[in-house]
Amino acid sequence: MTGNWFQSTNARIAGAFLMALLLQLVGTLLIPGYSAPFAIRALLVIASLLAVASVGQTLVVILGGIDLSIPFVIGFANVVAAQLYGQGWNFALVCVLVGVLAVAIGALNGLIARGLNIHPLIVTLCIGMIVQGAVLLWTGGFPSGSAPEAVSAFVSIGGSVGPVPLPLLVPCLVVLTALIVLVLARTAYGRRLYAVGSNPEAAPLALIDPLRMWVVTYAASAFFAAVAGVLLLGFTGSAYGDVGQPYLFQTIAAVVVGGAALVGGRGSYLGTIAGVLVLTEINTLLIGLGFRPSTVQAALGLVILLLVSLYGRERHVRATI
Amino acid sequence: MSSFLRKFNGRGVGFAVVMLVVLLVLNVALNPARFQPAAWGTLLGLAAPLIGAAVASAPVILAGRGGIDISVGPLMGFVNALVIQVLFLDLGISSPWIIVPTALLVGAAVGAANGALATIVRIQPIVATLGTYLILTGITLTILPAPIGPAPDWLKAMAGPLSVVPLALIGLCWLLVRRTPYYDLLMAVGSDDRAAYTAGVPVTKVRLAAYVLTGIFAAAAGLMLTSLIGSADPNIGPTYTLIAIAAVALGGVSLAGGRGGLGGAAIGAIDIFLLQSLLTTFNVSTYVLQIAYGLILVVAVVLTAVQERFSGRKG
Repeated sequence: MTGNWFQSTNARIAGAFLMALLLQLVGTLLIPGYSAPFAIRALLVIASLLAVASVGQTLVVILGGIDLSIPFVIGFANVVAAQLYGQGWNFALVCVLVGVLAVAIGALNGLIARGLNIHPLIVTLCIGMIVQGAVLLWTGGFPSGSAPEAVSAFVSIGGSVGPVPLPLLVPCLVVLTALIVLVLARTAYGRRLYAVGSNPEAAPLALIDPLRMWVVTYAASAFFAAVAGVLLLGFTGSAYGDVGQPYLFQTIAAVVVGGAALVGGRGSYLGTIAGVLVLTEINTLLIGLGFRPSTVQAALGLVILLLVSLYGRERHVRATI
Repeated sequence: MSSFLRKFNGRGVGFAVVMLVVLLVLNVALNPARFQPAAWGTLLGLAAPLIGAAVASAPVILAGRGGIDISVGPLMGFVNALVIQVLFLDLGISSPWIIVPTALLVGAAVGAANGALATIVRIQPIVATLGTYLILTGITLTILPAPIGPAPDWLKAMAGPLSVVPLALIGLCWLLVRRTPYYDLLMAVGSDDRAAYTAGVPVTKVRLAAYVLTGIFAAAAGLMLTSLIGSADPNIGPTYTLIAIAAVALGGVSLAGGRGGLGGAAIGAIDIFLLQSLLTTFNVSTYVLQIAYGLILVVAVVLTAVQERFSGRKG
């Protein structure tokens, strides 16, 4: 049945990629220079940053949770990395420290949410606020410092890798995507993730420890948020505690547009990548057409509703009995 | 007191009530000037938007199966912008008999749209209301790019000595709803929608109505926000969304649905307001406040959950 194929995960992902391509075509027809090499490079870099920030949200959503602490961890990594590097620390050491702290924050999220059975929405929000408060307290609200040259070059829109006119970030993201897809499809962790997400009660019967899965997955989510924070430091050049705020709803939107269900057990990182591309295309296209950011935001909301109503519908109660 | 607590315990409000009493005593002891009886109207006016937002968030959460409305805050902002910029400044309407019904109707319409998306189109509630969240903030910023004032005088008075009036009306509204069969259907759907459906409850309609209720209450919260700030500001509304949901959880309303009530949500909101107020009296930096606030909120929600599990095991 065609209906079945249209409902399948692969069809959703293919559809989202097609949509991104279509938007690119529309942009090329309507806006001169939309497909110019520099414009495409900029689009890819911006999309890659969102893609890194969305890794964690994808994993957490497959698990059946949600992570609102991502923007706060992004801001935390952004400010702490800049501040410590500015104080003369070795940047590798800074990255390790930021990574370890982020993992601890994420693990705490998973531990409280699953261990005490409290909705992750509330846990991650509170932990996020605490993290933000701690960062503000430490910097006094005025973060200083900057990114090392290497990080800036890694994400710079004008950068290139050998003959390829793209910054290293983009090929690295391709590798990262392949790795995550592989981990989700071919490792025990991936299978367990989907198992806990689709049926949290049955998973322990298959000797899966849900608490451990939650701790590990939320830790991974915070880790990737921290990576995004450090990359954003290279992208913008200076530290800014609220740099992650736009990513709060964008990561959720990307995951959802990519075909994941927020009830857990469904979703893929490839889908998220497609979702990221669609969101970035819509944003670039509408801004390019001269719409105000507020209008663009409203349009994004409409597009999310439209796409999800096409392929992300839940079952009727009737069908669950 | 103990029987009073036990009565509430079944609905998981016990801890929130204890916290309310403790916070109130601490506040009055540490800051008698702010909490003297003459200032109660103003205080309640300050707390009103958060109470309204929490109360508004509750019906859809009670309806269960992941029901949640994150567009409550943006809807408050939208009503704020609509009332001041469009009705009061552009059309010159200042009569409460037009402004209040219009605002509530708009709220009901947005609620119905949310409900249709979540129950008929069957988009997951958090995604559906994320869509309306973005649309509403976008429209609000379009009709009101920057803060503007003033507000009609009668509306500003609602944040002062008369601040109890809108809250009392909302409470009365909910009490009336509780006396209808609809309330039982709502709780039945929230506890176990499959069992309710098998028993012949029109699950979709009950949920849809919960979204409409949420929309109406959110519009009322938007009006209270407008009277508090006495102007229109496109950026304040959305900030209420998440903290309102935290207040609901603190008030013993299970985010899984079917347990709790709007009274609990209101108490949770008052707790949060009193906590903020108490922390402000300690003369420390706002950054410390934020950490303490987040920490206490986590601990409070954890304790609420623990207590709920404890009382659940007994009963």
